[in-house]
This record gives sequence, structure tokens and C-alpha cells, in this order.
Amino acid sequence: MPEYWYIKPGYEERTRKFLENKPQPEVSSDFEIKEHDFVNAGMASGEIKLSLKRLGVKSEILRRVAIAAYEAEINIAAHSKGGKITADIFPELIHIKLQDNGPGLEDIEQCMQPGFSTANELVREMGFGAGLGLPNIKKNTDVMHIESEYGKTTFLEIIIYFE
Amino acid sequence: MKQKKEYFHAIKLVEENCTGCTKCVRVCPTEALRVRNGKVQLDSTRCVDCGKCVQACPFDAIQTYADDLNIIDKFKYKVAVISTSFAGQFSESIGYANAKKALLHMGFDEVAEESMVTELMSSIIRDYIRKNSQIRPIISSNCPAIVRLIQVRFNSLLPNILRIEAPMSVLALYYRNKIARQKNISEEDIGVFLIVPCISQVTAVHQPEGAYKNVHDGAISISEVYKEVISNIKEVQKDETPIETYPKGLSWAISGMEAEEVNDGTLRTLAVSGIHNVIKILHKIEDQQLETYDFVVLHSCTNGCVGGVLNVENPFVATSRIRNYLRTAEHKNFADDYFYEMYQNNMFDVLPLESRSIMSLDSNIKDALEKMKKIREITKILPGLDCSACGSPTCRALAEDIVVGKAELDDCMVRLKKMRKQKK
Repeated sequence: MPEYWYIKPGYEERTRKFLENKPQPEVSSDFEIKEHDFVNAGMASGEIKLSLKRLGVKSEILRRVAIAAYEAEINIAAHSKGGKITADIFPELIHIKLQDNGPGLEDIEQCMQPGFSTANELVREMGFGAGLGLPNIKKNTDVMHIESEYGKTTFLEIIIYFE
Repeated sequence: MKQKKEYFHAIKLVEENCTGCTKCVRVCPTEALRVRNGKVQLDSTRCVDCGKCVQACPFDAIQTYADDLNIIDKFKYKVAVISTSFAGQFSESIGYANAKKALLHMGFDEVAEESMVTELMSSIIRDYIRKNSQIRPIISSNCPAIVRLIQVRFNSLLPNILRIEAPMSVLALYYRNKIARQKNISEEDIGVFLIVPCISQVTAVHQPEGAYKNVHDGAISISEVYKEVISNIKEVQKDETPIETYPKGLSWAISGMEAEEVNDGTLRTLAVSGIHNVIKILHKIEDQQLETYDFVVLHSCTNGCVGGVLNVENPFVATSRIRNYLRTAEHKNFADDYFYEMYQNNMFDVLPLESRSIMSLDSNIKDALEKMKKIREITKILPGLDCSACGSPTCRALAEDIVVGKAELDDCMVRLKKMRKQKK
């Protein structure tokens, strides 16, 4: 399946170790996202944000997680047939995994270009689909990984380190 | 754990009146209240002085605090600064001008109105918004309850708060300096008192955070002044000394109007009132969903300052009266060179605010994670009804209270009842 990787310079070694070792998270939460459910979209990222506040994560980090998680959640609601979010919290990072039920991305690289959007009219009317979602996620994360193929599904994972 | 600083709050808990009904516990936006052993308790670090609990209590067990009117006697020269919402408290038969004049009969030597400077402050704020284009949106600092809410729950938004003094504080500074110079009275002999519509402004006077740093002499409630106005009104009406008022600037008493005033047509502004509505908006700002807005005005009370708990009149009636004054009000410029000089010399600036975060479970992430795990386990076995019968606002809050040793699992009556049934 086509892939896209972004790792912020300086985080390669840490990230490689983390992804290889697959440690057990301290706290893990799952959220279901329904297709075009704009009313509830934002609940999962809201919960994730609350958890990080409870952990005393620094406010600059918190904002980055809030923005990335919200954008990613809205992406599932706006562009997919629904999906699932898993937020794994570790003492030094948060790992958010988003698996949707399709239809998959035609061209990942193109989707990473600011302003590119496949959003339909309904989505645009709701004020979403400006084509800034994935680039904005990238801007706020330390690690971003996409696996997707048109006609199949999209998997997105992001990591944000607390230090 | 961090050292807890003592915070001033303008509410008094009256234990003998409290029935332990938990109405206050359920409305508190920062989960600062608990009922333990049948009586209400306040966590001083969490309270933001919004006054929701005062409105919710049917038994007068949570009372407001404001300074007594007679504290003004301690000063040789007494100045009152009346909040914009004051004008909405009086019927047309009394009128705003007479209500203002009544304060002179009460012993004040001079009466200033917040509305004198709200227009000027609007243009100063507009200037600040333009100069700080890297921060969006700028959040108004006028409502002390909102400033404290951001300090305790929305830390990451502290840089967004406007760092310009509140109009009443600007006036206090201006009058104190002007009177000292013109009348040759020493500054310690001049008392400047705010006549306020809400308890958060009382708190701001006694313990300023950023804004309201120039008004340390006292805050008297509109309701106390109202009583005096009503009992002296006959005498005041006979007094024919002319008195000037500034109705044009009264708009700030009403939610939405401050944002309108600041907006000269080139800005995107948003106004929200009611603390639970405000919390939803602050979440959106935190998630960067409202970056296209330049200025956001947030009021803890529904409808704005007219909704404060220290007012007398219903907020909708007060709004209607103020709108009436606005309809015919003419523009008046109150400021003199000295006022502009103060602004030029950055005397209206305030320092950045510090966090008062109540959110973290522990000072280090590892211990906080341990607590979070326990809280999640306990929450799973609680009924999830959020009935507050245990004295905590929600099941999750009870779980937290249990983990930090402030409650027990057996405080949950629903669970106890279920277990008793199972035993049978």
C-alpha cells in the first residue's frame, strides 16, 4: 500500500525505537467516528485534550495535540465512511492512530499539498474541506505516517513528544 | 505538590442554611464545590467567582460579599466609579441622571461613569488588535471571571488575553492622579470605589489579576447603592444642580455591544455570554477553530454585565432600558490631554497573566498517569448517572475525589443500593 512518512529531524532514532518495541500504553482510549457526523466530530479530540490537561502536559504541546487531533477527527467525519480513533498515552508521548473504512486516498503526496481538497459540497457548506487538514496535522506533529490506497482504507498515525 | 496560594473570593458559605441539596455543585463550571457531611465546601483554587452557585442556591447558603458603603468614610475625598449596568437598574421615573446624582447625596465627592471611557477604550483595543496581529483571536480581559476561567482551565490561551486595563480601572487611575494634582490632596486621602454588578469584580478589586490593578480601595455592590438611591430619591429630585451623564458608552453593559464598538467594520469579532457557552467557545479557540476572528468578547453572565448577581433588575429589563438610553445618546469626548498622556506612557498596559491551572492530577506525568489509570478504573464501576447524590458533581469527579483521598467509594449511594440488592 502507498505510504507517506514525516519525521521531524532529530526524532528519527527515538521514533524508530518506539515503533519497533511497540510498548504497552499507560492509558488507551478508543472512539468511533461516523460518516458526516459533524455534530459529534470534535468529541474524541476534546477527550484527548482533557486527558493531556489532566497529565499536566505543557500548554504549547497541548495546543499542538489539540489541533492535530481535531483536524484528523474532522478528516474522518468529512471525507471517509467513518472510522476509529485510538489514542495511546505514554509518559513521554502521545500516539494517535486513525483507521477509516474507506474510500482511501488517490494520491497521498497531492493530499499533503496545502489547498488540495476532494471535499464535496455538503462538507464545504459545513465550513470544512479547505484542503488544509493534512498539512496542518503535519505542522503540529513530530511524526506523521499515512498508509492508503484508493478503493481501500486510510490509516493515519501521529506522534507528539511531550519533551 | 505545588504550594497553594490563598485566593480571595467574594462569596460566603453559610453552613447553617445549607441543606446539602447539591444544586450549586452541579452548576459550578470549574467543579469547585462539593457537599461533604451534608454541607457545602469550596475549593478556593478552583473558584473563578462567576456567581452561578449564588444564583442556584435556593436556601441562601451561598451569599455574596461586597464592601460596605460606610468604608468610604475612611477617606477625605471619595470617588465612585459606576459600572455601565448601573443605568439599567432604575425605572424611567427615576432616571439615570438622578440615580447618578444620588451618589453625591450619599457622601461621594465625585462620580465617574465607566461609560465615559468605553468608546476611547474601544479605539485603544482596536489599536492593540492591529499591533498584535500574530495572536488570534485576542480575548477581552474585561470580565474577571473569564480571565480566571482561562487561568484555571485554558492555560494555553493566556497569551490571547488583551493586556490593556479595564475601563473602570483606567478611570480610577485617572481620577486619583487628577484630583491629587488639582485639589492638592495626597493620594492616600483619595478613595476610589467601584460600584459593581458582579462578585468577580469585587474579587478583581481585592485580588487583581492583570487588569483592575488601580482600584484597591473597595468595591460596593449595585444592590447596596440601589437601596440608598431609592430611599433618598425624593430629596435628590428636588436638587436642581445640573449633572452630566455619558449614556453613549453604556453599551458595554450588554453582551455583544463591546465587540460591536471595537469593530470599525474591518475586523471579525465575536461575542459570547453565559459561562457554559463561553467554555465551549474557549475549547474551539484552543483547537484553533476560531483563528479567523480578530477579537472575542466573553462574559460570564448571560446577557453580559447586566446579568451580574449584584444587580437588582432583571437583566432583560435592564438591557431594554440601556438600549433606550443608547437610542438618543450623543457622542461626548470626556478625555483631556492628561488622559492621552497616560495612554502614551503605557499606563494602561498590564502584565502577562500567570497560570493557576487546576487541571493536572500531579506535578509529574508518571504519577499523574497512575492516578488517571485509577480514576478510569473507578469510573467504570460507578453508575454513570452524574446524580451528585454523593456530593461530587459527576461520577468522574467522584472517582477523582476517591483517588486523591477526598471521598470513598461508599459515598456512591446508587452503587450501595445495587450491592445491597445483590446480597439479598
